[in-house]
Amino acid sequence: MLAEGRQYSRGVAISIDDVSIALGGRTVLQHFNVEIAAGEFVAIVGRSGCGKSTLLRSIIGLETPQRGTISLGSIAHGQPDVRIMFQDSRLLPWKRVLQNVTLGLGAAYSIQAEKILAQVGLADRAHDWPAILSGGQRQRVALARALVHDPSLLLLDEPLGALDALTRIEMQELIENLWWNRGFTAVLVTHDVAEAITLADRVILIEGGRVVLNEFIDLPRPRARGNPGFAALEDRILLRVLQHRTFPVNTSGTREIKQTIL
Amino acid sequence: MNREAKAEFQPRVTVQARNSLQKIGERALPWLVPVALLVLWQWASSTGRLPIRFLPSPRAIVNSFIELSASGELWTHVRVSTMRALLGFAVGGGLGLILGLLTGSFRWAETLLDTTLQMIRNIPALALIPLVILWFGIDESAKLFLVALGVFFPVYINTFHGIQSVDRGLIEMGRTYGLSRWQLYREVILPGALPSILVGVRFSLGFMWVMLIVAETISARSGIGYMTMNARDFMQTDVMVVGILLYALLGKLADLFSKGLERYWLRWHPAYQPAR
Repeated sequence: MLAEGRQYSRGVAISIDDVSIALGGRTVLQHFNVEIAAGEFVAIVGRSGCGKSTLLRSIIGLETPQRGTISLGSIAHGQPDVRIMFQDSRLLPWKRVLQNVTLGLGAAYSIQAEKILAQVGLADRAHDWPAILSGGQRQRVALARALVHDPSLLLLDEPLGALDALTRIEMQELIENLWWNRGFTAVLVTHDVAEAITLADRVILIEGGRVVLNEFIDLPRPRARGNPGFAALEDRILLRVLQHRTFPVNTSGTREIKQTIL
Repeated sequence: MNREAKAEFQPRVTVQARNSLQKIGERALPWLVPVALLVLWQWASSTGRLPIRFLPSPRAIVNSFIELSASGELWTHVRVSTMRALLGFAVGGGLGLILGLLTGSFRWAETLLDTTLQMIRNIPALALIPLVILWFGIDESAKLFLVALGVFFPVYINTFHGIQSVDRGLIEMGRTYGLSRWQLYREVILPGALPSILVGVRFSLGFMWVMLIVAETISARSGIGYMTMNARDFMQTDVMVVGILLYALLGKLADLFSKGLERYWLRWHPAYQPAR
């Protein structure tokens, strides 16, 4: 489901069919089914260890499902390109920022690399070593690296988890803008429900190896956190994640903390 | 109120002058003891308190150095010794690098070779000298073998360790960016192992000189060791000290070289960034 106002979609559709993945003897995902439309921004939330990262890694081929298939749709020209952004920037420390962005592409992409570095606000840092950049700057370089070759699918594995709150908000805006303008399909794994609602067209909750919630976000972009619709959605999803129906209040007027069922 | 008044009273000129005086003092002070010792030594030799047979005077050493270098004899010996050391380093270091890369990168190579190499490593190289003389005689190949042996193990072990401890996250990232096996090796694994390899090189340079000195002491017809041993036969203590100082100087140069190499090849490393 594409949001209104999108000019085009270069994205690729993803079809995850009856996938089961076991890691270290433990079944992480079972009979997992999800369809993601081309150009859609999907956020996957869930508790630690629910399998959201594993799902992402299996889409790009870093994990192999024991059963089921993950297939990408076709795009207008050539083969769909998939790129992933990790929680740590994983820049090569012995290459300058520009060489990191053109990794695997060669010097021919230097001009494109400089353009995208300008888009993420790091045009003047193209010749610096990663060692002198801050965490937020490194993640921006990682984002530039992921997008320089115009992928059809961008996977984001909790990329903002290690950043401070303000940098996180800036990065969210950056990711949303780039996604809006380029039209790739985006799958974001995050533990931050507010972040999921800010960025995604749709939020999926994984629990017990399956999809238990599939919430379409109907709010206009850019999402305003102060919006009551936003707050209501966040509350609903968060309560479902934490498995509270409500926060019960006992007779003395104090809040009783219910034991969460894992 | 008091604090403000005190701050106002610090005239800037005196503070600046004190700072530059401090700097000169800091630079000069470490040299105080060596220079004092040198002066004491020269005095002891000049007044005859230090017998020439024991230790020559600093002036005699300097004269000896000038004589030997003028006649060209010094440089011949230095050249011979340096060539031996470099050749041994190339052979031992090259072999250590290749085997380290092999066992670090391929499981089968590690299983096949590492245990054997570790066993050999436990034999002190110097203990092998009688055997080496038996095998190689006392000519150049014996010296080459000893130096190469001393250089081999630090390079091998640190190369092996370097390859094994490359950040797996970076390798994974490289794979997702479509790097071929060879590209992965060249762009991620080798540069990642380089800091460790350079540590191995630095250690091996130390061993290189030790093994060379020992090899030249046993038997030589040229080189600094020969010059020193020859001088001993003629009781020329000044030449002996020149030889010792040459070894020390060359050792220092080798260390500076390897540090320079590190500073260039590792200039991306957080440890080498200018302090902010």
